Amino acid sequence: MSGTTPHVLRRALRSLWENRSLNLVASGVIAAALMLAGVYLTVIVNLEGMVSSWERDVHVSAYFYADVPVDRRFAIKDDIARLTEVASVRYLSEEDARAYLGEKVPEVSPILDELGEGVLPASLEITLVDQFTGSQEVGTFAEQLKGPDFEEVDYGQEWVQRFNTFLSLLQALGVALGALILTASVFLVANAMHLVIYTRRAELETMKLVGATWAFISTPFLIEGALQGLFGAALAVAGVYGLHHFLLLRLQDYLHLALGSETLAFLPAGHLVGLAAAGVVLGVLGCLTAVRRFWGAAA
Amino acid sequence: MIRLYHVSKTYGGQHALDDVSVQVPKGQFAYVTGPSGAGKSTLLKLLYGAERPTSGKLLVGGVDASKLNGRQLPFLRRNIGVVFQDFKLIPNRNVYDNVGLALEVLGTPRVQIDRRVRAVLNTVGLMGKEQRLPEALSGGEQQRVAVARAIINDPAIILADEPTGNLDGAMAVEVMEILRAVNLRGTTVFVATHDAALINRFPARRLHFDSGKLVSS
Repeated sequence: MSGTTPHVLRRALRSLWENRSLNLVASGVIAAALMLAGVYLTVIVNLEGMVSSWERDVHVSAYFYADVPVDRRFAIKDDIARLTEVASVRYLSEEDARAYLGEKVPEVSPILDELGEGVLPASLEITLVDQFTGSQEVGTFAEQLKGPDFEEVDYGQEWVQRFNTFLSLLQALGVALGALILTASVFLVANAMHLVIYTRRAELETMKLVGATWAFISTPFLIEGALQGLFGAALAVAGVYGLHHFLLLRLQDYLHLALGSETLAFLPAGHLVGLAAAGVVLGVLGCLTAVRRFWGAAA
Repeated sequence: MIRLYHVSKTYGGQHALDDVSVQVPKGQFAYVTGPSGAGKSTLLKLLYGAERPTSGKLLVGGVDASKLNGRQLPFLRRNIGVVFQDFKLIPNRNVYDNVGLALEVLGTPRVQIDRRVRAVLNTVGLMGKEQRLPEALSGGEQQRVAVARAIINDPAIILADEPTGNLDGAMAVEVMEILRAVNLRGTTVFVATHDAALINRFPARRLHFDSGKLVSS
């Protein structure tokens, strides 16, 4: 610890207190930027979790024509169960399908009742063994099933692939927008700090006059920026957590249907550390920009 | 101690200093005199590195001040105490903090700062006013705070730009007596002034400028 360290720390803390309004503005800007990033990351984390659960849960639905006799349906089921690709097969009658849909989406029950029988076809729900869950293998297996007994053979893999592409696009868009938002927040923090520096310019000019180095003048501002960033990140995490909690309460009934999970994932620890680090970097960069501007102008 | 070799400084083609060569030995008290616009303030700015000469060589304590970069300049300034006509005190810091600032930037421990600040405030006659803000002091007292800040780290050179310009006669004499006392301890003192009465009262070497030229020394 050099001799100037205690003076530098004292100056940083004093400046934080004396310019608390402007520092709060800077922290608020950082918090707003990081909260946007946090919400975006939460969405991405949950979408990734959703895709991952879909990929783990690969199964094929084969829908019977209505005129296929029930005993033939069970014979076909037994034949399929013997295939090496198949882990399990479950027969789902029209009544089972109605009951399942009625349980998951109670609102459609009256509509189904009105439409009468023959609306939901009976099906075989086929779960494949792990080594056959790749998109190509599932596609080949589904093609094999197609024949005179099945009206349609459906598997989610193609849709999962499309969704994955959409997710990649969303991530790229998020990175671009995030970069813009973070750059704008550096600019705003720099302007807030510029005001802090402006209010203290007499002191800083005098410090230069008596031989203060760039490090002695800038370090308190950088510490100030780091603390502003940490505080902003804490506000952002609290905001994202509050929003997460609110959405969890509001959307609990729909989560299982939409995400295949009873809960909405919050940001993992690594992401939270990342947000805190981003806050520190934003604060320090903003302050550094402002001090360099002052130093250049004073020179 | 201070040597200028053919130093010129121009602003937009106008000569503020024109081919100035002069030497001031260590421990000398010298006035820089001349009418307004003669180049007095420009010379002092060159000496503490606020400006760079357009041409020529400028040695301060053996260091070529014209070639120092931004990182080196603070170390030159630690050997130079500067006093301004408008005091340049930090308005929202008390006398103690204003004076102690010059030691803080050197990383001096608080205990030593405390001891030195009290000693130097005693020297300039401001003991008991440590906690006052500059606005609560008279002009003469504010200038004595500025002098205290300039001398607290025992610099080799004191540069004073019209230090008595805003003070009445008695206060001006007090400030000059302090600068004289500092000089007697071996510090080189440069005082830019056009106050002839003061020069007569405290006679010393005069570097007289007119239109940027050194006309007598």
